[in-house]
Amino acid sequence: MNRDTDALIGELVGNLQPVRPMKFSTGLGLTLAGLVAMLAIVGAILGLRPDVLTGDPSPIFVLASGLFFLLGLAASVTVVTMGRPRVGSDHDGWKWAAAMTALLPLAAIVSGIERSQFGLTGAAAASGMDCLTMGIAFGLATFGVLVMWLRKGAPTSPERAGLLAGVAAGSFGIFAFSFHCPLNDIVHIGIWHGGAVVISALIGRIAVPRIVRW
Amino acid sequence: MKADEASLARLMAMAQAGDRSAYRTLLVECQRWLRGYFARRVAPDHLDDLVQETLVALHRKLASYDPSRAFLPWLAAIARYRWVDQLRRLYRASEEELDETMAAVSEEPAVAARISLERLFEHLSDAQVQAIELVKIQGLSVAEAANASGQSESLIKVNIHRGLRKLSAMIEKA
Repeated sequence: MNRDTDALIGELVGNLQPVRPMKFSTGLGLTLAGLVAMLAIVGAILGLRPDVLTGDPSPIFVLASGLFFLLGLAASVTVVTMGRPRVGSDHDGWKWAAAMTALLPLAAIVSGIERSQFGLTGAAAASGMDCLTMGIAFGLATFGVLVMWLRKGAPTSPERAGLLAGVAAGSFGIFAFSFHCPLNDIVHIGIWHGGAVVISALIGRIAVPRIVRW
Repeated sequence: MKADEASLARLMAMAQAGDRSAYRTLLVECQRWLRGYFARRVAPDHLDDLVQETLVALHRKLASYDPSRAFLPWLAAIARYRWVDQLRRLYRASEEELDETMAAVSEEPAVAARISLERLFEHLSDAQVQAIELVKIQGLSVAEAANASGQSESLIKVNIHRGLRKLSAMIEKA
């Protein structure tokens, strides 16, 4: 760039169009709307778990899906905040939710070692792959909303923003799909449901920075 | 007359609503503020480019400012991001000609210490700061920086690489 700054200012002023400021409530509202839409699709097309339908959900379902929801919420809040930068912001709050949710795969490993069975073969692996792929797929709405938000905004750390968009998408995706998945096995939930979050996070970390860099 | 935080925030809100007169005033004030902000941390021949790039970024990211919040921390985040990006580009190009006559900068930037560029450097090791200052800001070659600092050439490169990565991660946090 090698032009007169006054001329540049004149050009920018001439190009000014009114803009709607990016409100935190708008960003989070859109993200949650995407989640509600995915839940509706799960309920309408795939059907809900029997225990949810009868109003007596299994404790392990409540615990695991609750953790995934909180992780998705924490990551979404961080991504929405990152779209509106300011010196003094701390984007580390999501790490506590991630640490809590990491107890699920940890419990799966401990339980798998005790049983000498990790569900990585045969029918268990097939149903696990279903959850993995559907969890990632149902996170696409969240992913799309957050990436659009970041593109419009000004994230100063595109790599971390991409990672967290992936974490949010994977967490909300598997949260939505867990309303269909009937399994209550901690090994299945920890490895395959947790795996959906990890893979989604990796996709976000790799694919998003180049899209949102400014 | 220098505009204060409240005036800048008000001008920005008016600019977001499409008021071109307010926007012109805002950009002129921002230009002045940015020159002070960058003055000690950019080679003089790169200052104009960086100020202009930051003004263009401000224009493109106008919507990312929330008028209910302070303006300068937002502008400082935009400015830091563009500054680190420029350091990175210079690092990748690694071709810079020497400019050994760094102009003395007397103007004191009217910014709170909280959002200053100096504060970012506080999170780097002394060796990293020295390597970045010598090569990226004063424009010395890696060999000259190694001579001046007593670090080996490979250490200078490692310190620049790690320092820039750390700066990038600290843009809003520091």
